[in-house]
Amino acid sequence: MLAYIGRRAVLAIFTVWAISVLAFVIIQLPPGDYVTSYIAQMASMGSVVTDEEAQNLRIQYGLGQPIYVQYLKWMRLIAQGNFGMSMEWRRPVTEVIGERLWLTVVVSVAALTLTWVLALPIGIYSAVRQYSAGDYLATFVGFIGLAVPNFLLALVLLYLGFVLFNAHIGGLFSPEFSDAPWSGARVWDLLKHLPIPAVILGLAGTAQQIRIMRANLLDELRKPYVVTARSKGLPESRVITKYPVRVALNPFASTIGYTLPYIVSGSIIVSLVLGLPTVGPLLLKALIAQDMFLAGTIVLLLGVMTVIGTLVSDILLVWIDPRIRLEET
Amino acid sequence: MTKLGRTLRIRTLRSRLTAALVVGALIGVIAAGALAQSAGKSALIGKLEGPEVVTDSAKFPKTLKEAPQLAALVKAGKLPPVSERVGQDPLVIKPLHEIGKYGGTWRGGFTGPADFWNGYRCCSGPDHLMFWDYTGDKVMPNLARGLEMQDGGRAWLLHLRRGMKWSDGKPFTADDFVFWFEDIYRNKDLIPTPSAAMAINGKQGVIEKVDTHTVRFKFPEPYFMLPDVLAGSTDLGGQWSAYRGMGGFAPAHYLKQFHPKYVGEAELDRKVKEAKFDSWVRMFLAKNDWALNPELPVLSPWKTMTPINTPTWTLERNPYSVFVDTAGNQLPYIDRVVLTLAENLEVINLRAIAGEYDFQQRHIELGKLPVFIENQARGGYKVYLDPGDYGGDMIIKFNLNYDADPEIAKWFNTADFRRALALGIDRDQINETFWLGTGTPSSVVPADSNKYNPGPQYRKMWATLDVKKANEMLDQIGLAKKDAQGYRLRSDGKGRLRIEIMTLGGQFVQFTQIAEMIREQWKKIGIDLTVQEVERSLALKRTAANEQQLGAWNNDGSEHLFTFPLHVFPFELAAVASSGPLYVKWFHSAGAQGKEPEPRMRELMEKWKKAFGVPEKERIQLGKDIWKIAAEDVFIIGVIGMGPASMGVRVVKNNMGNIPSRQYNSPDGKTPGISRPATFFYKK
Amino acid sequence: MAEQGPIPAADATKQRIFVASQWQLTWWRFRKHRVAVASALVVAGFYLAVLGADFLAYADPDASEAQRSLMPPQRVYWFDGWRFRPHVYAVKGVRDQQSFRRVYRADPDQKIPIRFFAEGFEYRFLGVIPTTRHLIGVDGGLDATKTIFLLGTDVQGRDLWSRLMYGTRISLTIGLFGVTVSLLLGVVLGGISGFYGGMIDTVIQRTIEILRSIPTIPLWMGLAAALPREWSVLQVYFAITIIISLLGWTELARVVRGRFLSMREEDFVVSARLVGCTQMRTIFVHMVPSFMSHIIAATTLALPAMIISETALSFLGLGLRPPAISWGVLLQHAQNVQTVAISPWLMLPAVPVIIAVMAFNFLGDGLRDAADPYT
Repeated sequence: MLAYIGRRAVLAIFTVWAISVLAFVIIQLPPGDYVTSYIAQMASMGSVVTDEEAQNLRIQYGLGQPIYVQYLKWMRLIAQGNFGMSMEWRRPVTEVIGERLWLTVVVSVAALTLTWVLALPIGIYSAVRQYSAGDYLATFVGFIGLAVPNFLLALVLLYLGFVLFNAHIGGLFSPEFSDAPWSGARVWDLLKHLPIPAVILGLAGTAQQIRIMRANLLDELRKPYVVTARSKGLPESRVITKYPVRVALNPFASTIGYTLPYIVSGSIIVSLVLGLPTVGPLLLKALIAQDMFLAGTIVLLLGVMTVIGTLVSDILLVWIDPRIRLEET
Repeated sequence: MTKLGRTLRIRTLRSRLTAALVVGALIGVIAAGALAQSAGKSALIGKLEGPEVVTDSAKFPKTLKEAPQLAALVKAGKLPPVSERVGQDPLVIKPLHEIGKYGGTWRGGFTGPADFWNGYRCCSGPDHLMFWDYTGDKVMPNLARGLEMQDGGRAWLLHLRRGMKWSDGKPFTADDFVFWFEDIYRNKDLIPTPSAAMAINGKQGVIEKVDTHTVRFKFPEPYFMLPDVLAGSTDLGGQWSAYRGMGGFAPAHYLKQFHPKYVGEAELDRKVKEAKFDSWVRMFLAKNDWALNPELPVLSPWKTMTPINTPTWTLERNPYSVFVDTAGNQLPYIDRVVLTLAENLEVINLRAIAGEYDFQQRHIELGKLPVFIENQARGGYKVYLDPGDYGGDMIIKFNLNYDADPEIAKWFNTADFRRALALGIDRDQINETFWLGTGTPSSVVPADSNKYNPGPQYRKMWATLDVKKANEMLDQIGLAKKDAQGYRLRSDGKGRLRIEIMTLGGQFVQFTQIAEMIREQWKKIGIDLTVQEVERSLALKRTAANEQQLGAWNNDGSEHLFTFPLHVFPFELAAVASSGPLYVKWFHSAGAQGKEPEPRMRELMEKWKKAFGVPEKERIQLGKDIWKIAAEDVFIIGVIGMGPASMGVRVVKNNMGNIPSRQYNSPDGKTPGISRPATFFYKK
Repeated sequence: MAEQGPIPAADATKQRIFVASQWQLTWWRFRKHRVAVASALVVAGFYLAVLGADFLAYADPDASEAQRSLMPPQRVYWFDGWRFRPHVYAVKGVRDQQSFRRVYRADPDQKIPIRFFAEGFEYRFLGVIPTTRHLIGVDGGLDATKTIFLLGTDVQGRDLWSRLMYGTRISLTIGLFGVTVSLLLGVVLGGISGFYGGMIDTVIQRTIEILRSIPTIPLWMGLAAALPREWSVLQVYFAITIIISLLGWTELARVVRGRFLSMREEDFVVSARLVGCTQMRTIFVHMVPSFMSHIIAATTLALPAMIISETALSFLGLGLRPPAISWGVLLQHAQNVQTVAISPWLMLPAVPVIIAVMAFNFLGDGLRDAADPYT
């Protein structure tokens, strides 16, 4: 077991390094760099940046050097615990991300909770009453989140919230609380703003979870032990919940792999439309501005989360399901 | 005729009649609508008005008053009394309607750390040494008490206000100008290229101290344009450009601690490392940033408290503000300005619609006007339109230097080709669809009221819809042959003539959609146009690399022809749309690099340069000549002008006072800065 | 063989099951899932619309007219008095100077009859046959100002219904390309990984893991911005769909690999090898067909993901851009406050998106259930 974990950990480190390289490359792919993006921004506001100023900026930011030099510089900084300076925000990257990170986690956890609260019952019902009208209806509800373009839905809900409930538009806090110190009132304000993002994001994920739940439960329900239990007279609800559901929950462990990065990044598009102060829109803006260190760090963070998530889920699986353990050795 | 035949004939007749009636009705309605438009526009467009600077010292207030919280601090001994803080020569402003009341928080929205214009426009005073009056026409003293010309225009004496102080209480004197000139402007690390604003005919000037409150700008040749340059949003126009090291003055007492001339190298290195900057230059410029550094001493009525790179950009009253009203109240009336971050334009607009902002002009989209109007009562605000004075809310530039395809280069440099294309645009359609009828179909020339306007006949010169004439012109210049679909063929025999226009998405004006409409319209004159929407930085790169053919943009700022020539002729390489990058090089290198422009363009450029060194009357004539050339030669096609699409839609809560019904909308005027937001107040 | 007499019914059914081919079994199981069957019909309907987009449209999708800007959908009147004569009323529009909205008033005295198989703008049916017939239209149908507007118009006065028809065509065909690429990559790489195992497997698996760790949007942005400028809008989009599918193949590859791994030791595979089949033959003739149904199901499920990705990309400004018309482009035009508040009919393109995605999902689920040997 330990050997298994050890092996996977070494591989994980290698994967993370590969991700860091890829992340850097991707961010550099669009032609130009932060300075071109900066000049463009200035130009579109009527300000002018001369050629020499641009050159100067490039030298100061180290953008004139070849990619691998910049990459090594970044790696060196990371080794010192410094993720670099965001050129757009002119603050350390850690500060910029840190401010938003925990808010992102709150929103994502809320969305995930909603997803599982919806997906589990629907999945179970759908498996137990396969092909019935209820099955179709429940699956329909579950899939609607997948089918509706959620950026449009987000905008519609924002508008309706204003028109019907005079709700504050977007964001996670009302203006008076956005910078205020923590208090019960601020928490309540946050909770008031959570429903719309949680619903939109939560619905989007239900389809996938319903499928998994349903498929696994169906598999389990056909197994001989279930038939035995039923024939021995156990009430139906016990038959389903005592073993099959628990076993069917196993694969949720495997979904941790991609859930973890999601918690940290949140959804990019919906967050942007709703004006949420989360990591997603931050990444998007950083990519557009080619703010190298900020974008690179966020992408690296997501990559690391994925790798950790996969590692955790693999370990969990091995722990839960002895068969896999045997297969591996 | 058979019965069937007759029935068919009658039916056809009937439906033809119906169709004719419908068309007739539509035409009638269009005409009525056009008539009604001119009347209806005025509902939202008011009369140009604004507060005035009082220069007659006899009318200055005798005693000064201050905001209650400042009075409390004075009482507690924490602040000197207001007369000491303001000095002997206050900047007196007569509020537009009435003397206001102290108090309140002004709520607005901004989009992120790149949105610094937002704050400069609303809250910087403006802090120019000289500034425009509310008509945008006359230059008045502002932070400086006066400007005196000497030596035939070669020297200018700037008189400062006695007792005027920075926001931390230290005196604002000529030393701040000298510090800026010697230690910032002349430092090659901070400023690698000297600014054109400090030069006349390419020759740089100097700044000297005469005495504590007098500064001299000295130039080798007469520089008659200096007052305009000091008044405009130029490199000498106040602390807005301090983040690049410009401005004309800087708080010497504060910035010295970040400058290698005054601080040892080791000490400076330590500071740089501690603040996590890459170099002392980066740190210095960041410290000199009005929007970013709360500790930077400023001269504006409000100063940054929480900087622009946080979710809330707050500004609070500057206790040493030199602005006062005619009753002696130290301005600003409003205590605090709070701008909240909204990274998405729909969110900002929605919040404005919901009435969450008190006064918002930036980022409000004209296309949403009906929604704003619909919610006025509910949101407790009123909508105003401030059309710009420039000729083009939307323009199309020909890249005269395009050389990748000699055939296209030939046509771009043929005046009649450009004119014909200009005649092929149905501006009324575009105006109705995208400007909701509030713009003016126009050539590139500025508004009739602008002093450089060459005359009313230039408004519509080559700027009407005349498909017949356009076709004739194109036939005559050698593009008469067409292919099976009706598109004109190239004169070099290589098939269909295809040209391309580059547009940017996500701007105040819907360039891409308008270009699509023009594409349909140009089908009628046989021109095949491809529309390419690109990202901003991509646009920049391609333009500078001379890869752009046609570019769509707007020419706001061009109403101040000499401080904002960016969209009149190719002036800067870093432009999103350009009339000729090689011409830019030629212009700035005085002929050493680049390519010499064709005669008319050259004439335009020469006149522009000349205007800086001649007295006003001659300059005005030169300005008119420049616009004449621009209108006649159509280097740039004007589509819709004098519209409110660029920051011309204003949403103001009903409980705010001293709000003008119409403002002069211009980057030089830092609108709404030109309406002196320091005089805005809350009635309740 | 001697006669055995009439076989009893139950035995006959069982007999059929025993001798039925895999495909027949799958089909019978599929038929039980009624919603999936209905979805299949819906999908077929969509692709018919794709073929006949020009026929179903009645107005030039690019014809703008400011006087028709933002017209609401026109009401169709089916009866004129007692006769069945579908018609619409002529509409006059003017910009209200108080509210700045365009206000349209229908005139009940001007009836414009709707003609079926009417004459309209010229096009080539199936790309081959030139014709001017459209499903519906009005007299004088070539003149865009006199036609009807079933779903209203957009801000440039272009008919939404016609644009929707063309948008359907592009949205539904473009996804097919991406899915095909995903399919090929997934089957090939997953198969190699599962069949050979060992080092090759590890390398491919690690690559998959790395690819899946990269968030998609940065990748899209980077690649989109790196594409050459000479490409037309459509070419750029093909390139991007292929790029998206480069990420999408990983899921399919994992499934295929899993199957290969478990099938490697099966009797029929071993015997095929013993008999002397080459590896290629073993894989493609013996192994692949046995999980073909799974592949079909996975592919069907990948399509709706492509559709949604297309709309998301358009939202970000990376996907198809005007003048191309797709569901994503139409939705992007609707993605603003004024649409939601004042011209909500512009959001109608979301309806076919929802229906198509749901239909593909149910269809895919049905196929997968049907292919599952344990049911």
